[in-house]
Amino acid sequence: MHETKNQRPKTEDRQSKDFFELTFEPLDVGAIARRIVPETCGATVTLDGYVRQFTKDRETLYLEYEGYEPMAVREMEKLVAQAREQFEIAAVGIVHRLGKLEIGETSVVISVAAPHRRAAFEACEWLIKELKRVVPIWKKEIYRGGEVWIEDTS
Amino acid sequence: MKVQVLFFGATADATGEREIEIDLSDETRTVNAFQNIVARFPQLENHSLLFAVNQEYASGDEVIRDGDELAVFTHVSGG
Repeated sequence: MHETKNQRPKTEDRQSKDFFELTFEPLDVGAIARRIVPETCGATVTLDGYVRQFTKDRETLYLEYEGYEPMAVREMEKLVAQAREQFEIAAVGIVHRLGKLEIGETSVVISVAAPHRRAAFEACEWLIKELKRVVPIWKKEIYRGGEVWIEDTS
Repeated sequence: MKVQVLFFGATADATGEREIEIDLSDETRTVNAFQNIVARFPQLENHSLLFAVNQEYASGDEVIRDGDELAVFTHVSGG
């Protein structure tokens, strides 16, 4: 597992609980969400992104994720810093899985804790959108009849 | 000077390489370094490419230094 700690929290929360990690192991969504529960918060919003079986008529058999691991962790850390500037949030945890994932397995977890839920929802949506745009991770889709590295952003 | 070039996903499949070392002349800028790499692997022209230098997205006008880590990859698709 690759892990870095956020060494420069942007808010007055000196005991920042932020984390950004990659792992080849299965993700425990509830345990990840529970790692960020600051005393000042009242809500955590968690995205559980998992492997979809059907995309329109195409049946996915499984996915293989690959990452440029050190750069991916750095980009995730930058996203968290940017999210903290835009939203009233207290802590963020992001864990992305790599390797082979079966249908229904969790590929990414983003948990955002905030004093009030609205900021947590907005920040979580912004973070997944940006993660899919800039964090150097790629998925190869093995579907019934072929396989392809997904290269577009749709 | 020598630099490392990393490939991932579709660019690793297209080139058959995951990591190579190439020689560049001093004062090479990233835009020229990446033109050099694509010229070695013309099959990369079939892809829309992104470039990084030392684990940061490249703007194109950075000056490459000996020992730098370059990377060539397609649009990301995590999540």
